[in-house]
Amino acid sequence: MVLLGSVGLMASSAVLLENLTHRYAGEIRPVLVIDKLEIEEGSFVALIGASGVGKSTLLRLLDGRLRGWKGRASVLGHALSARTAPPRSRRSEIGYVFQEFALVESASVRQNVLNGRLGSTHSGWSLIGRFSDVDQSAAEQAMRDVGITKFAERRVDRLSGGQRQRVAIARVLAQEPKLILADEPLSNLDPVNSKIILELLRECAANRGATLIATSHQPRLIAPFVDRFIALDGGSITFDGVPSAVDEGLLASIYNDDDGKDHSEAAE
Amino acid sequence: MTIEHATKSSPKRLSREREHAWGVFSVSIALALLVVWSWIESDINIDRLAASGVRIGDFLSRMVPPDLTVLPVVIEASAETLRIAVLGTVGCIFFSVILGLLAASTITPRFVSMPVTWLLATIRGIPLILVAMLMVGAVGLGPLPGILAIAFHATGMLAKFYAESIEGVDPEPVDALESAGATFLQRMRYGVWPQIAPDVVRDTLFRFEMNLRESLILGVVGAGGIGFYIQMYVRAFQYEKVSTLTIVVVFFVVMIELGNNLIRRFLR
Repeated sequence: MVLLGSVGLMASSAVLLENLTHRYAGEIRPVLVIDKLEIEEGSFVALIGASGVGKSTLLRLLDGRLRGWKGRASVLGHALSARTAPPRSRRSEIGYVFQEFALVESASVRQNVLNGRLGSTHSGWSLIGRFSDVDQSAAEQAMRDVGITKFAERRVDRLSGGQRQRVAIARVLAQEPKLILADEPLSNLDPVNSKIILELLRECAANRGATLIATSHQPRLIAPFVDRFIALDGGSITFDGVPSAVDEGLLASIYNDDDGKDHSEAAE
Repeated sequence: MTIEHATKSSPKRLSREREHAWGVFSVSIALALLVVWSWIESDINIDRLAASGVRIGDFLSRMVPPDLTVLPVVIEASAETLRIAVLGTVGCIFFSVILGLLAASTITPRFVSMPVTWLLATIRGIPLILVAMLMVGAVGLGPLPGILAIAFHATGMLAKFYAESIEGVDPEPVDALESAGATFLQRMRYGVWPQIAPDVVRDTLFRFEMNLRESLILGVVGAGGIGFYIQMYVRAFQYEKVSTLTIVVVFFVVMIELGNNLIRRFLR
């Protein structure tokens, strides 16, 4: 088991990675090779890069769901283990917005949002459908924040893509996380809804003092909302800087492969 | 497709088509021979078949009017059949939940799920009437061997259905709950159960209907229920009593089916 001691950690670091590598079974090339990465608490960071460069793998690692990596990783001041999942209490501190929403389609919006409380509520009572007042009010607040209170009792499979994305975000907000990881939160949305969701994510994270890390294939769209861009290529960090430093030339080098083909959605 | 390519691939395609035609022809001949062999070996005599019409007409005429004096006995025996079907279904649900979970390859290691799958196939292969006779030998006459036989026999099918439902679960919503800190039981309750509930209820009701029909004949081997009276009245040529019995059984099965359809409609 690889652990990271508290020595050398900055008090304001939400994420700290050192000498980190990961290789999937049967693969020769590693999917992640990160010498050092530090992300400040309360910031909004966008992970960009072509498909398959390791963005989602990095998010899964930070969420404590990736096994077998090597190096040192610390999230919210706690060392991650490459062999075991984080304890229940720490898992609920990290919210994960899934690319395909990962909602229970046949359940109501309210139940899906309440599911975000499962990590912190009493396990026994929750099995018979009882959630505490604290859980109920956290879910209500989350639904209010993303504007889905009016269809709280509706089944998720009756909602549009944009509404589902809001439910997925509300479930994460109901967790009251200190770190929000969003995997391609705009992939199923049109440009108008994308901007609304980005604004919503930034606002909700800021109100809760949470750190927000999102992967995206739309750097131009996301640029006005984020504090920092991190670009990955072949699992390594090839750019780390503020949005103003991201120009067309840099985006072209990030998204163009050897054949000169542009993989960026925004470039179309 | 170029002309050169078409010319090159044509002989291959023709050869494949010829092989396919020969395959269809051979299977058709084999099936035809099977039907002819069954007909000859069963000693089916058209004259006897034609003459039976008169006898069936005679039986039907002797069934009218129904002898209603046996109604209380028939109703009580039908109620016992219902009790056998209900308790047999409860028993098979109990075993099917356990064996269904163990047979589901998505949540159970293959070295466990494979043998359980084989066990279920073996159970399905044993005829109910044989199980009932063995149970009568083991626990004596009455409804108990019937209940045990139904519970055992139906588990082979219901556990397989349950396992297939679990295997069809979308893993992403369950992963999302794990990410939020949900325990194993919470993931089952809020991630797996809502996804499989409609299938599980539908399959269980279907199996209950099958159990009810199969319970009707269990009395023939002394395993309780209305089957005892079916064989007794038929062997004693008391067709007016068979008539009452048929009316009660049909009424009873139709009522159960209507009730099940109502439940299914409610769940949709």
